[in-house]
Amino acid sequence: MAIVESGGEKRSAWGRGFRELDLILRGDRTRPNALREGGLPIDPGRLSRVIVLLCVAYGFCMGTFAMFSKNGPAPAQVLASMVKVPLLFYLTLLVTLPSLYVFNALVGSRLTFGSVVRLLTATLGVNVAVLASLGPIVAFFSACTTSYPFMVLFNVAVFAVAGFLGQMFLLQTLQRLSSAQLLEEIRAEPSEEKPAAIRPPSDEFLGRHVKTIFRLWLVLFGLVGAQMGWVLRPFIGNPDVPFSWFRDRRSNFFEAVFQALHSLFS
Amino acid sequence: MSLTLLSRADDVLREGTGRGAEGPPARPVSWRWRLAILVVFGLAYGAAMGSYGDPPAARPLQMAYSAIKVPLLLGASFAICLPTFFVFNTLFGLRDDFPRVVAALASTQAGLTVILAALAPLTAFAYASGIDYRPAVLLNGLMFATASFGAQALLRRNYRELIAGNPLHGPMLRAWLVLYVFVGIQMGWILRPFIGEPTRPTQFFREEGWSNAYVVVMEMVWGVLLGSR
Repeated sequence: MAIVESGGEKRSAWGRGFRELDLILRGDRTRPNALREGGLPIDPGRLSRVIVLLCVAYGFCMGTFAMFSKNGPAPAQVLASMVKVPLLFYLTLLVTLPSLYVFNALVGSRLTFGSVVRLLTATLGVNVAVLASLGPIVAFFSACTTSYPFMVLFNVAVFAVAGFLGQMFLLQTLQRLSSAQLLEEIRAEPSEEKPAAIRPPSDEFLGRHVKTIFRLWLVLFGLVGAQMGWVLRPFIGNPDVPFSWFRDRRSNFFEAVFQALHSLFS
Repeated sequence: MSLTLLSRADDVLREGTGRGAEGPPARPVSWRWRLAILVVFGLAYGAAMGSYGDPPAARPLQMAYSAIKVPLLLGASFAICLPTFFVFNTLFGLRDDFPRVVAALASTQAGLTVILAALAPLTAFAYASGIDYRPAVLLNGLMFATASFGAQALLRRNYRELIAGNPLHGPMLRAWLVLYVFVGIQMGWILRPFIGEPTRPTQFFREEGWSNAYVVVMEMVWGVLLGSR
């Protein structure tokens, strides 16, 4: 790792940020050995710049639908989407971070506040990297689809795929962190295999703490995230409704998804 | 040049079998050749596909459009899906194999167009014997299906070594196929008409073309179920 750091001095901050994200995606930063040397070795500030950039890129792909709307292009909606996607993730993180940390401490995990922030930023990185990589597909469908409910459901599905992979990464890293701590106590050498950020689930023993923390985080982050998305809407822009930065705060996310499903199938 | 292209196309078909046409093992095909094969053979089948009419090949513009559309369909779907596949491979620890993965997929695409081009004389013959428009559409569907089946065999052969190295490549390949077909269907839908009804004016895109294939299918299913519309 020291080699990577010294080699990276000359690169620009952006280059280092992308390198950092790449190492997380490759699973290099979450190898059991790396974790044993003390927490998750990442820089959340540097990583966040890249995350915001990728969110903006996805926002642009999402907003493409408004550019090809039947009522003429709406560049304001594209701009709004580009601003709102990063806001969605970071506001959700801000709202949930205190409770996530407190619950984590309550169930007896040894993660410090700094580690929790680093872990969640890395998870966000994985989530957003998957999201941005699906961006071209979303932009393509946005450009040639006139059906608003289809685009809503498609974007929900894309967010769900990205979220699912992010959560898998979180679960796996939590598990590795807790077993790294365990190994430190008994001074055992962990077996080193080829790094991978996510491995398909095996009958690997999952610690009790890990499971509890993970479930709590999943529910909290998922619920707040979905509702945050609802509060920040419109992301895509209904062609029948004139552009506005925010819509009124009635109803909620789950009701809206159900309604989109209903109108697509009827 | 054209002779080299043909021999490279032969290599693509034989990749992974360990056998060349005359004894020596097939050489690995370079990037530029894969792209060249995709474009040239794709153009060839597309031109044959667009030659429908009475008399055949009476609409050179439609032939040119159809010719461009075949490589465009394959190439654009491939390019759009690649970033997602890259991130997925990285996440599951298959990044080191990625160049070989892309090579296998690109070879399959090139192989698909070679098979299509080999079927082009059949399509042209069917057109020459004067089949109707609907059967002609079905015939082309059948040709694409046949070529896809052939390409599947190529894909499995190119992937065999990768899967032997890491079994995770198996589910990854299935994920790729789902994604690629999902995007490819929509790409094919907006690139209509591929054949071009002779009674309608020749155009690159249909004016009602900007729609979503999945929504259209769903509306059709719904219409049949309700018995209205």
